[in-house]
This record gives sequence, C-alpha cells and structure tokens, in this order.
Amino acid sequence: MTSVAIEVFLQTLIAGLLLGGLYALIGLGMTLIMGVMKIINLAHGELMMVGMYIAYWMFVLFNIDPYLSVFIATPILFFLGIALQKFLINPVLKVEAILPENQVILTVGIGMVLANLATIFFTSDYRSTPVSYATNAFYLSDYWKASPIELSLSVPWSVSFILAVIITISLWFFLARTDTGKSIRATAQDTDAALLMGVNVKLMRVVTFGIGSGLVGAAGCLFLPIYYLFPSLGGQFTLIAFVITILGGLGSTIGAIIGGLILGVFESMTATYIGMGWAPVGRFVIFVVCLIFLPGGVASLLKRKKLGK
Amino acid sequence: MKRLSLVMSLLFLVTLLTAPLSAADNLEISIPLPLTGSQAKFGEMEKKSYIIAADEINAAGGIKGKKIVLEFEDSQGKPEISRAIAEKLIDVKKQPVIIGDYSSSCSKAIAAVAEERKTPYLVVTGAADDITQQNYKYVFRLNPSSAYYSSGLMSFMSEVVKPKSIAILYESSDFGTSGAKDMENQAAKTGMKVLVNEKYEKGAVDFKPVLSKLKATRPDVIYMVSYVMDAALLMKQIKELRIDAKLFAGGAAGFAIPEFIDNAKDAADYVVTSTLWSSQSSYPGAKEYAEKYKKMNGDYPSYHGAEAYSALFILKDTLERAKSWSSEDIRTAMKATDMMTAFGPIKFEDKDGYQNQNFMDTLVLQVIKGEHQTIWPKKYASAKYIYPIPTWRERR
Repeated sequence: MTSVAIEVFLQTLIAGLLLGGLYALIGLGMTLIMGVMKIINLAHGELMMVGMYIAYWMFVLFNIDPYLSVFIATPILFFLGIALQKFLINPVLKVEAILPENQVILTVGIGMVLANLATIFFTSDYRSTPVSYATNAFYLSDYWKASPIELSLSVPWSVSFILAVIITISLWFFLARTDTGKSIRATAQDTDAALLMGVNVKLMRVVTFGIGSGLVGAAGCLFLPIYYLFPSLGGQFTLIAFVITILGGLGSTIGAIIGGLILGVFESMTATYIGMGWAPVGRFVIFVVCLIFLPGGVASLLKRKKLGK
Repeated sequence: MKRLSLVMSLLFLVTLLTAPLSAADNLEISIPLPLTGSQAKFGEMEKKSYIIAADEINAAGGIKGKKIVLEFEDSQGKPEISRAIAEKLIDVKKQPVIIGDYSSSCSKAIAAVAEERKTPYLVVTGAADDITQQNYKYVFRLNPSSAYYSSGLMSFMSEVVKPKSIAILYESSDFGTSGAKDMENQAAKTGMKVLVNEKYEKGAVDFKPVLSKLKATRPDVIYMVSYVMDAALLMKQIKELRIDAKLFAGGAAGFAIPEFIDNAKDAADYVVTSTLWSSQSSYPGAKEYAEKYKKMNGDYPSYHGAEAYSALFILKDTLERAKSWSSEDIRTAMKATDMMTAFGPIKFEDKDGYQNQNFMDTLVLQVIKGEHQTIWPKKYASAKYIYPIPTWRERR
C-alpha cells in the first residue's frame, strides 16, 4: 500500500469511528426501550429532532452552545418521554386490540404529530447553528512535521464523539450500579420475575422511556454542530437506530454500542471503496445479513463467547 | 347536456359583451402559474415579480395607453391543466399572446397548443432543451435551455483556470444527475479527465470518506451539484480535510443562494458557481428589481423571479412595436425583439437546432469576502475574480 492509500484508509476509518460513536448513542435509546418494553419506538428520530430544535433555539435566542444544551434538552426530553409513556402508550398497552403491536403504530403516529408540529411552528426551512468552531480541525502534520501522510480530526466531530462516549459510560454505570438501573435491567430480563421480586415494573417502564428519549435528545444536541436541521429529519435517524437495535441484538446495551460502531465504519468504508451512493444500500445489506445469519445480533456473539469460557 | 351548454354559452356571451365595456382602456393578460402544489414556491415568486413589473409599466403609462390588468390561472404544475388553461385563453378569452408557467413539462404542453392555434407563446422558465427544438414558429423562450446553464462556468474555466482534470459530486436526484451528466459531456469536449464521478443520497451526514478518496486523486476542479445544506456541508468538510484544488465550483442551485454563505461561513470563500442571474447583476434595472422584491417579501428573488419580471417588459416592447395586436403581427414583432432587460439581453435566434431561442451568457458568481459577486463574463462583472485561490493552509 502506498502512503496515499494508507492515508485514505485511515481517514475513512477515523470518519467511520466518529460517525459510529454518534450512531451508537442514537441506537442506545431505542435499544433500551426495546429491551424493557418490547416495543420498537418509531418516534425515536422525531424525538431527536425535538432535541435538535431545543438546542437550535437555545443557540439562536440565548447564544447557548449546542454542547451545553445537552444539559437542557436531555431533561426536557426525559420528561417529554415520561409524559408520552404515561398518557399515550400505557393506556394503549392495556387495551386488548386486534393488532398485537398497536403501541408501535402509536409511536409512528406520535412521530408524525411531532414532525408536523415542528413544520407548523418552525416552517420546513433548513437551519443550522453556525458555531464558530464548525470547521476547525486538528492536523497530523501540525504536530508531526515529517509525517508522510496528512490526517485531520474535526473539532466538533471529536467533541461530539467524546461526549457520546461519556454519556454512554455514565448510562452503563447507571444501569450496572444503581438500584434503579438494576431494576430496569431486571425488568428487561424477565418482567414477571422482576414483579415478584418487588420491582415496580410500571414505574420502570415509564422511567426507561424517559431515559431513552433523553438519550436521543442528547444525541440531537451533539449532531447539531456537525449537521443541519429540518422538521422531517427524524425518519432517517429512526431507521439508523432501528438497524443498530437489530444489529446489536434487540435490547443489549453493549450490543448497540458495538452495532453503532460497526455501522459507522461500514458506511464510511462503503462510501470510500464502493461509492457514496451505495452507503444507504450497505446499511440495509448489513440489516438483512444480520437478520438471516445472526438473528440475536452482536449480543448473541458475546454471550456465546462467555459460555464457551 | 344541451341545455347546460346553452346556458354556458349564454353566460360566456354575457361576459364577452360586458367585459369590453368595463375594460376599454385595459389590457387583460392571464398568466398560468403553479400556485398550489409542490412548485408553488416558484409560482408565488413569479406571480409577485409579474405584479411588480405590471405596476411599473402602468405607472409609466401602460402599453400604448392601456393599463395592464394581470390575472393568474393556477396550473398546479400539471401539464394537462396547463393545456386546458392555454386552450381557454386562446379560444375563449381570445388573448392574442400567452406568457408564463413554470416547469418544463407545463411549458411544453402550452407550446403545443399555442403552435396549433398560431398564437405566440413566450416561455419564461421551462428549461428542457426540446421545447424550442420542435420547429415551432410561435414559441419563443427567454431563458437559456438547460444545456447552456453551465456555459459561463465553462468559458471561465477554459480561459482562466485551464484545468486538466475534474471531480464531480452530485445529489442523486433528477436535477443533480442531469447537471453532472452535462458537466461530464462538457469535460469530454474540452479534454478534461473525470477522475471521480460520485453521487450521494440527499441528507448524508458525513462526506469525509468520499472526500478523502477524492483528495487522493488530486483533481484540478471539484464540481458539485447540490441543494443548499449539502452544499454547505460539503465545503465545510472540504475545509476540514484541507483538500486543495485549483477551483471549487458549484452547479447553480444550492451554491448560488445567500443561505450557502450563511451556513458554510468562511469555508464558502472563493467558491464559484454558475447561475443565470443574480441580484447583484449589472444589467440595467436588476438591482432595483431585486431591492424592490426584497422590500416587499423580505428575501432576494432567484433568477426565476427575474425571468418573470423581464417577461412582461418583453411583452410590452413587443406590443408597442407590433403593427396590430393580432397574433400574426405580435409574432412578427416578437421575432424582431432585441432589447435589454433586468434579466439580461434578449434576442430570439434560430441556431444550433433551436428556434426562437434567446442565447445569453450565463453568469459565474464567486464568494468574495462573504458575498456573492458576479465575476464572469467580464463585461457584467461586479468584482474581479480571485484566481489562483489560496490553499487552506495559507488562509489562516
């Protein structure tokens, strides 16, 4: 491999990992909700859109940096998620309907309402936050003068990635170490057993939906400095989250993180070595291959290894 | 049925009889435009521009003493409705000349009716090549056909930049694909090597993989056909990766509107783009029109508005020169048009397989100090072009 080919490969890998980290954060919220409630939340991308609009208006009105808006949008989305779960989804869960998955259909409706409300209030104009550091980057040649290749690392992408990692780690800590976290995991593993052990399953469901929404709201804030914003942006991210959830193995947190990274890297590699028009195709190839050959997702691989030991 | 048609024709008779009485010194012109549907945004812009033009003409005494009264017919962007409107205007309203409509397919439908009924028709924005390639005698077009959209950019490149290779990135839509194909043909003609030719799906988040591949091929020119947000994202990521080319060029649309600079900020500097018209054009009346439009609507118009605005002045010029206001005389007068408008010079010529087509220089804009400036052709330039452009490293 020549130095040029290595440069292209490494730059693609960097781009893929950064993108994958953000994808993982988007996928986490959906995975969490999937694990506890056994439903796919198809309003996921729209909740992210809401988070992005919050961060956008915070920037425009009060000049608050989108990254600081994580601390504003996440709690708002948390309570929005709780409200959605309590007043819309829970009542539907109770109803005996012909369709077994009517809660899923309900989430589609919630997503549509959110997208259309955004169109009414904010028009369908495209917006972005012109933050001052949007195009800043670190360059390898600035630090190592004799470097035979030039690599660049975008500042906003890196910050978004690092924040995504921090949020992911704290989520993991929350799930693994706190009582509430343990209760959520218990509910995800076996609802009946959790109920017998005195876990307030109903409350856990509400809290989980709140956390899932909060996570994707945070992801929205991290996406704003590197992307742009319009009311119907949700659909494409719902799809990405869905693919990650399947890839990670329905409900597995670590699976979602690995799934997000795999998807990010795979998409970038497709764009470089096959063609950018093929990147969305690559996404669905992964999806289908995973469903056929690895129905349990990455999580099932991890489990198998553990048992083998 | 018979009775209905009798009532209808009676109604028409009544309108015909009463109309001339009230409108003796008025000239009524009905213009088909997409006022609802997906193209309504452009229809609205054109409607407002027609109204500005009509007000100006009326304020200056109208056409041969007659005031213009505009009416708009909603074609909804559907060719069959456009066709019906054209038939109504010619057969019922006896309008001697037709102007307007937005899309190529609607313009094509009207052109067929106009030719059949021997009524002159002025195409204002429909850009498909074949509208004026059908040997129609009564169809005129003021905007250049789409094959000529990038002609200004090509002449700028061949005279100033002299590139040997080009990389093309385009959105996988109708618009992006045709723009890219056109550039591919032009590149083959001028001997430029196409090093990368990549399409992307609208809404892509990360262009860096494809851009780093592009960087490795070291093209002289990077040509991109995108809508506004992708255009800004592309330039931002090009800056991040410090991809240096002799020229960054955009194919109109996303690169030619102010939002591009607002979003891409300093990454937009020195980017050139082809366009048909800009609000800073040095054509007489262009700036005044743009300012007036902005005052009324808060935004600068795109070239579609300027085309509509100028169309009415072409009509005024034609009607003033025509011996009588019969379709035949209007056609003869329109054919002899040779005038300057806010949109540019207008002259209907038969050449290169086109009939009654206005050939004009398309403009090249460059972002200089955070603003779009017209840089090419030289005679219309509002600023001197900046070339060679500094590398990314030199810029900071």
